[in-house]
Parts: sequence; C-alpha cells; structure tokens
Amino acid sequence: MTYDLIGAVLFALLTIGIVAAAAGVVLINRITAAALFMAFAFLCNAGMFVLLGAETIAMFQVLIYVGAITVLILYGVMFTPQSERAYGLFFQQQKWLAAILVAPIGVAVGMLSFSFRDTGRPLAGGGDLVALATSVFRDFAFPFEIASVLLLAAMIGAIVLVKRDED
Amino acid sequence: MPPGPFGLDPVLWAILRLLIAVLLAVGLVFNGALAQIYLERKIQAIMQDRVGPIHVGPWGLLQTFADAIKLLGKEDIRARLTDHWFFLAAPAIVFSPMLASYVVLPFGPGILGADLNVGLLYLTTLGSMTVLGIVIAGWASNNKYSLIGGLRSAGQLISYEVPQILSLVTVVLVVGSLSLTHIVDAQPGWQILALYLPLAFVTYFTAGLAETNRAPFDLPEAESELVAGFLTEYSGMRWGLFFVAEYGEVTVVSAIATTLWFGGWHGPWTDINPVVGPVLGALWFTLKTYFFVLVFMWVRATLPRLRIDQLMSLCWKFLIPVTLINLMVTAVLLLVFPDTHLPVAIANWVLLVLAAAAVPFFQRRRLVALRQRLAAA
Repeated sequence: MTYDLIGAVLFALLTIGIVAAAAGVVLINRITAAALFMAFAFLCNAGMFVLLGAETIAMFQVLIYVGAITVLILYGVMFTPQSERAYGLFFQQQKWLAAILVAPIGVAVGMLSFSFRDTGRPLAGGGDLVALATSVFRDFAFPFEIASVLLLAAMIGAIVLVKRDED
Repeated sequence: MPPGPFGLDPVLWAILRLLIAVLLAVGLVFNGALAQIYLERKIQAIMQDRVGPIHVGPWGLLQTFADAIKLLGKEDIRARLTDHWFFLAAPAIVFSPMLASYVVLPFGPGILGADLNVGLLYLTTLGSMTVLGIVIAGWASNNKYSLIGGLRSAGQLISYEVPQILSLVTVVLVVGSLSLTHIVDAQPGWQILALYLPLAFVTYFTAGLAETNRAPFDLPEAESELVAGFLTEYSGMRWGLFFVAEYGEVTVVSAIATTLWFGGWHGPWTDINPVVGPVLGALWFTLKTYFFVLVFMWVRATLPRLRIDQLMSLCWKFLIPVTLINLMVTAVLLLVFPDTHLPVAIANWVLLVLAAAAVPFFQRRRLVALRQRLAAA
C-alpha cells in the first residue's frame, strides 16, 4: 500500500460523496434535508481541493458555502410559509423532458472526465496561499476591486428595496 | 510522509498517528469540559459568596464526574414530533468541528497535529460550521423556543464572525503568515503580540465571547426568556454533548488568544532539554489558555446579559467599524514602515484608548435619545 493509493481511495470516496449528495439534493422532497445534502456536497468538494493541494480554496469553500450560504438557505426555508400539500419539486414532474435535456450534457461531461490526464503536480511547498494572493491582489487586482464594488452596489440595492417595503 | 518511529511503515504510522491524535483530542475535550464545569461552579460560587460543590469527593472534586455519569445514564428522550434524523445529527454537527479544531493548535514546540499553512483560516472555518448545527437543532426540535434560539444564534454567530476574522487578519498582517507555528515563532520572549496589537486582542476576545454563546452574549440559550433556547428539547447525553462542545470552544478561543497574542507555548526554560522543554512548553500553553478560560468565567459572573438589539448594535455599530479602522491603519502603517512594528503598536494603543474613551460618550448619547423617545411617547 502506498501513499498514492490512499490519495486515489480518498478521491473515490469524495467523488461518491459528491455524486450521492447531489442526487439527494435533487431527489429528496424535504427542502431542509436537501440543504443539508448540499452542505455535505460542498464539504466533499473542499476535500477535493485539499487533495489537489489548494488548501486555501478548500477553506474558503467551507467558510462561505457551508458556514454562510447553507445557513442562509435554511433561514429562507424557515421563514417561508409551508403549505400543507405534499409538494413535488418542479423537476420531478418532468422526468422525460429532464432526461432528454440532461443527456447531451452528460455525454460531454463523461467524455471530459475520461479524457482527463494528470498533467500537473500539486503545488509544492507552501500550498496555494501565496499564488492565490498574488493573482487576486496583484495580477487581477483591478477586476477584483470592480467585483467588490459590484457586490457592494448589490448589497446597498437590496437594503434599499427592503427599506422601501417598510415605509 | 514522515517515517514512523521504530522503523514503522510510514502509511501504517500515518493511520496510527491519526488514531492517537483523535483519541488524545477526545480525551482533552472531555476532561477539559469536566475540569471547566467544576472550575466554573467553584468560581461562580466564590464570586457570589457561596461554597459551591463540596459533598462529592474532596472539595467536591468528583461532583462533575457524578453529573456526567448521571447524564450518560439518563433515558434518551425524543419528542414524537421532532425531526428524527436532524435531531440526532445536530449535536454531532456542533461537536465535530470543535473537535477538528484541535488538529492545528500548537500545544508545545513540536507538539501539534498538523502545521497547516492556512491554520488560522482553518480554525475560523470550523468555527463557522457550528452555526449550521445550532440552526438545525433549533429547527428539528419542532418547538418555538428552540426555533427562536436557533435563529438568534445564527444571526449572532454570523454577525460576530466579521469582527473576529477582521481582528485575526490584523495579526496575520503583522506576522505575515497564517500558520500558527509561525505566529508563535514570531513572538519570542517578551515580544508578545498583545503589546503590539492590544485593540485586536480586545475585539477578538469580545467577539469570541459571542461566538461561543457565553455570557453576556448567551442569548441563544437565554433561560429567562427562551426556556433553554435550542437546547429545550434535548436531554441526557445529547444535551451534554452541546455543553461539552461549548466548553471545548471556549478552550479553542482561549487557545487562539494565547497563541496569537500571548506567545503560545513560549515561557521560561522551554529550550533547556529536548524532552523537558516541550513538556514545559505544553504546560505554559495550558496555563495561559486556562487563564483565559477563567476570564470567560469571570465575565460570566460579572456582566448581565445583553438584549438582542444591543447585541446586534454592539457588533455592527461598534466592533466592526473599530476593527475595520484598525485593519486599515495597520495595513497602511505596515506598508509605510516595513521594517519596524513600533508605529503599528503606537497606533493600536492610541486606537484602543480612543475606543475605550468613546464608549461612555456614545452610551450617554444613546440614553438621551431613548429618554426623548420615551418622553414623546
């Protein structure tokens, strides 16, 4: 047994986790359970990033997606009035149409995944922190700042919309 | 992969090492919780002029053990209308991130689970995962008090994460690394970062009190208004697990404060001997950490609980602006004077004094506004 084998086994487990959790999100009728499955898929995804040597991205994945976005979704679910009827999700009523639409994407994804070759080694030593920081704050500093201003504008817009309802 | 001792196969050693580390962390967490519950009861008793537990064992030392056995022996009660799987999962979701935090804490020179180069980020990430467990506990209990407790908790934890992370970023800027080992190495002898960055420490500690749901920020489980918040429907060891997680998190926050601002395991005689040194380092680390745990208890015995709107305005109107200004000033000063930390230290102390002086002023203004509103009504 070698270290490379452990890496492969972990990768397989994480893949199964992601696919199973994603299937759970789509197939399960209870929206809270779906949110939890989504959190689990995000966690497995973070594990993938760690395997690839991108720890920083893995941490942000968990921090933002599991810690913030899933909680936000749960909040949304809790504040949404729940009707008494058993609701099927929109997609579950249109199985055949969905299958037809998904098939081409499935073929493309399948071809891509089987043509994948391990081209580059994970970043050696020090992880991806310096590389990420350099690209965000030096090489792409301007687009990054533009994006942050855009987000700020969106946030202010949301607050203004909510405030207008109150008056 | 590091080769194992006694010529062990590296792969086997990696698995063994993981097992040992997890068992050690579990032991540390549970024993720490037992010790802290005893300490908490004794210290509150002293502060409130009582004697506290004295009957079970010498000085009541075995009281918490008796309580733990009682909790373990309790019937596992689950109300019929709770959401079964979520109800079972919630304590685990709260407990496991706390346990995982122990991986990166540097207990002594060379005594740590893994020296991640994103160690600090890892800790904040795990802290943010606790919210999920608490929200789910509140939702799954199918009880309005639980739900209000869970929602309050989510709001509180998400809000206080911001000043907490901003305070940590200030330290990271000064040290230039997210690795906890580097941060400890950056403060040898008396050059602890608390002398350079006192304001960041104060804001971090305040936010840490809120992050761990401790008094005066224990609104999610406020007994006087919410029965027991998200814990209402829990009993027996599930309830106990929430409390073990809380005490574990108090330890983690104290350990982060120790590591970042008070030199971690640095102390006298840590380099006299390759065997004694690390043990002494672990001892200094534990003593410093438990000092902050005691401060947590002191604060709980001293301050009354905040109201929910006071809690939110403290975070958004005071802590976040202060930490943002602090971060900006620190960053600019570090850019202007890359060789010395002295300007940063001076700016930090000045900001701390200004912030402390501004509190009574704003408090008075707020009270005046409140009085006017009451008079108008």
